Amino acid sequence: MDKEVVIKSENVIKNFGDRTVLDGVSLEVYKGETFVIMGGSGCGKSTFLRHLTGALKPDSGKIYLLGKDLNLLNEDEMDNLKKKIGMSFQSAALFDSMTVGENVSLPLKEHTKLGKSVIDIVVKMKLELVGLRGFEDLMPSQLSGGMRKRVALARAITMDPEIVFYDEPTAGLDPIVAGVIDKLILDLSKKLSITSVVVTHDMKSVFSIADRVAMLYEGRVLEVGTSDEIRNSKNPMVQQFISGSPDGPIRFFQQKDDYLEQLIK
Amino acid sequence: MNFLDKIGSLIIGTGQHVINVLALFFETLFWLAIGPFKKKIAKRDSIFFQMVFTGIGSLIIAFFVAFFTGIVIAMQSAYQLSRFGANIYVAPMVSVGLARELGPVLTALVVAGRVGAAIAAELGTMKVTEQIEALETMALSPVRFLVIPRFLALLVMLPCLTIFADIIGIFGGFLVGVFNLHLDPYRYITFSFKFMEWKDVWTGLVKSVTFAIIISIIGCYMGLRTKGGAEGVGKATTLSVVTSFILIILFDCILTGIFYFSQK
Amino acid sequence: MAVKIESKSGLTVCHVDGEIDINSSPGIKKTFDSLISKKTPKIIINLSKVTYVDSSGLATLVEILKNMRTYGGRLRLTNLSSKIKSLFEITKLEKLFEILADEEEAISTFV
Repeated sequence: MDKEVVIKSENVIKNFGDRTVLDGVSLEVYKGETFVIMGGSGCGKSTFLRHLTGALKPDSGKIYLLGKDLNLLNEDEMDNLKKKIGMSFQSAALFDSMTVGENVSLPLKEHTKLGKSVIDIVVKMKLELVGLRGFEDLMPSQLSGGMRKRVALARAITMDPEIVFYDEPTAGLDPIVAGVIDKLILDLSKKLSITSVVVTHDMKSVFSIADRVAMLYEGRVLEVGTSDEIRNSKNPMVQQFISGSPDGPIRFFQQKDDYLEQLIK
Repeated sequence: MNFLDKIGSLIIGTGQHVINVLALFFETLFWLAIGPFKKKIAKRDSIFFQMVFTGIGSLIIAFFVAFFTGIVIAMQSAYQLSRFGANIYVAPMVSVGLARELGPVLTALVVAGRVGAAIAAELGTMKVTEQIEALETMALSPVRFLVIPRFLALLVMLPCLTIFADIIGIFGGFLVGVFNLHLDPYRYITFSFKFMEWKDVWTGLVKSVTFAIIISIIGCYMGLRTKGGAEGVGKATTLSVVTSFILIILFDCILTGIFYFSQK
Repeated sequence: MAVKIESKSGLTVCHVDGEIDINSSPGIKKTFDSLISKKTPKIIINLSKVTYVDSSGLATLVEILKNMRTYGGRLRLTNLSSKIKSLFEITKLEKLFEILADEEEAISTFV
């Protein structure tokens, strides 16, 4: 099968102050696949995602989205590119002052010349896809966490994007709702042949949705492969992360010898 | 870090803020200028909503501040003027003082506390809950979408509120003049406007427009750069009010100076 | 995108060409609005030359159908590519429209 690359990053480096968050990340994502980026908190996965959506600029390195070098785009070109991507945020990021329907319809209202009646039909179709038809007139504050995430998903796909980015889609949800969200992501990418990039540390979700997985550790790509390859990886760090064991090559506590000295100083 | 280092970094930090605020201001002007040609400028209903919130919502508080200020100026000036038997000059003291100075400034301070704080808190909350980033990801400019409606609403409503405050303040002074100083009501009104020139009114309105720009841009700036959860929103709100207050008084001084020296 | 309208044995047959997406949908809707304002009773839309339909395109077709039903008009879609057909199935719209394999069949059985 010939694979078309839709996202490509080349040696992306990003520093916040004197802390290196991304230390040369190179990845490729193919058209139509569900690509999961996993890693512990603070490994740079969310930061990397924000580079892909154009929210952050790399200090050095290149990012190609749908064949375009993000560094070389002007504002209008970037805006046009942004209309082809959707993003579902960790906190759902629904607009509090708007109803569910207005949230989902906003990109269409702002970016197209479609009439209100046609937009209303699109909104109904999108909400049906996430199982929330009939909730158009509710405010986000009236919804549960899982429902908010589903609305955010519907909003992310309003413009029929080619790529959808998901930032921690199942974080903070109970296992059943998390399962529902995983199934939705899978459905959307398979049925609508959308390329999905998911950032998560939820291992259950990783192996239920991923075609391919990349593991990030301290701003570097530790390993990339299909979900089976990752599951059977020989890398002890990857295995430690999958099993969630506190003992292993990944250290969460910095063992410093001067601890006792510090106590009695 | 020694003392000089601290002063140095404070100056650099402040300079950076000034540049950022100016950048936001010019971006707002840019969207106002080219927005109508490129696409819809801003949602009309959101401008309307902001106008109602800014204008109608501030009427009661502006009323009380102006009313009592009018009474206070009348009493304070009567205290001095009665020694010269010039009680009737309380009328122009109140009307001119309000139109030139106290109407615009007090209204702006009240609105900075109410509307400016609300802008910073709302945008700050949107920022920390990723809503601002969501807008940007949808290729929607937060400036066009959030700043412009608030900017326009203040630009229109603050001068209106100021005129309202001027009238209410004059009425407050009128009550003191008529019921305490026993001045003839008709003469009081005549004197109120006899000494008030057109210039007094428009310089007051120029101030008011300037303050509207300060309140909206500072509120939006502090909101949009909010970091770090609920505490950050609180900080942004406080900072927006404090900064607006200082800038309002500073620009009041500058503008009064310009008007004062330019008439000579 | 272009819409070619012709009359065939008392029916109105429309050939749509290209993509029905966010950019072309408003224009297509306008074309059909004029047919609807004349209360055209029977319309067949031949989609053989349509390469891509997005949600706004689907919504536009639904809107056309909805507006035709207000005066008892009927709409048939023909010659859907397999990709577009599966899109109708995913969105559960295949039950809403009368979808026929080809134009001749749609004309001959349109009573």
